[in-house]
Amino acid sequence: MLVTARLRPPDRTVEVADVRRVADLLARLEVLPGAVLVIRDGALLTSQDELRDGDKVEVRFAISGGA
Amino acid sequence: MAMRCKRCRGQAVIEVRRHNAAFCRDCFLRYVGQQVTRAISKYRMLGHTDRVLVAVSGGKDSLALWDLLLELGYQADGLYLSLGIGAYSERSKAVCQDFASERGAKLVVNDLAAEHGYTIPEAAGTGGRSSCGVCGLSKRYVFNKAARDGGYDVVCTGHNLDDEAAVLFANTLRWETGAMARQFPVLEATRPGLVKKVKPLYRVAERETAAYCVLKGIDYVVEECPLVAGNTQMRHKETLNQMEEAAPGTKHSFLFGYLERAAGLLRAADDAELAECARCGMTTQAPEDPAEAPVCAFCRSKARLVTSLPVVEVTSG
Repeated sequence: MLVTARLRPPDRTVEVADVRRVADLLARLEVLPGAVLVIRDGALLTSQDELRDGDKVEVRFAISGGA
Repeated sequence: MAMRCKRCRGQAVIEVRRHNAAFCRDCFLRYVGQQVTRAISKYRMLGHTDRVLVAVSGGKDSLALWDLLLELGYQADGLYLSLGIGAYSERSKAVCQDFASERGAKLVVNDLAAEHGYTIPEAAGTGGRSSCGVCGLSKRYVFNKAARDGGYDVVCTGHNLDDEAAVLFANTLRWETGAMARQFPVLEATRPGLVKKVKPLYRVAERETAAYCVLKGIDYVVEECPLVAGNTQMRHKETLNQMEEAAPGTKHSFLFGYLERAAGLLRAADDAELAECARCGMTTQAPEDPAEAPVCAFCRSKARLVTSLPVVEVTSG
């Protein structure tokens, strides 16, 4: 099973094998679940949602800096 | 097993761990609206007859805020300040213009270079201020001036719970008690020339404002400002997020505990005297030496940047 994750910002794409749930994907990417949204086909996923082989998801960082 | 919405038991699309909750789309949008309504009501931020100016950057927070205020029936116009950060600023402006046009809302566009003679990339590093430092200074000045000149009653900014917790964290690390005393969800217009400032999103986490935009189909600028990488606030947010992961609710307790138990004490002890800037007339802190003419930080910064500008001192009496 292979999932393609587009992380942004900054924009980069990685492929991750053998991850069953969103929580597994974020753990593998070493990303804090509370700092990102995970989006598949325009819909938000929770950490417990299951992933499917061939899924393309966006891992969008929700932290922004600034003044 | 899919998560269930805490309110309606439908399929959840987002978790809010600090409230030990998960929500479906509709219940989440309702939850965000309730948080904003509660903030507005608690601090009497806005009235429905007020003319409201929302400072918008094209990012998730300010566009979510503008959308919420319009949905709640406030007379909210947007203010976009072009900072001159190349393609990033152009894209940000276009996003704000599209947002306004889709809703039939009014967007005021100001341009830092055209009105004050410099851009943020030009200003970065001058006078000991970082690009974020000079950007924040410029925004605070321009937002107040635009609101005052435009006859608005109140300026709204999109500062969220994470922003406020990170600023409080930074100020606490340095015991900047003066800055802490002035960090509050509402700053009243205490002197002529000052416009009331409010932060209706202070109860909403920034992950939640991003989720609000995704769920409402609001196109926002996802890219980070090219000048912001590695800045102090980002590092503080990362630290706080590590703590939040281990103990959900940490940021909420830190900020709300401060607002409820410490902010009043610091405000009462804040003895900063205010004066009128001798160059632009805006309110600023009075200098320690009474013989010295008060000059606001914006005018000092601008004078360093734009050496060709004539500096005219205003004398009283």
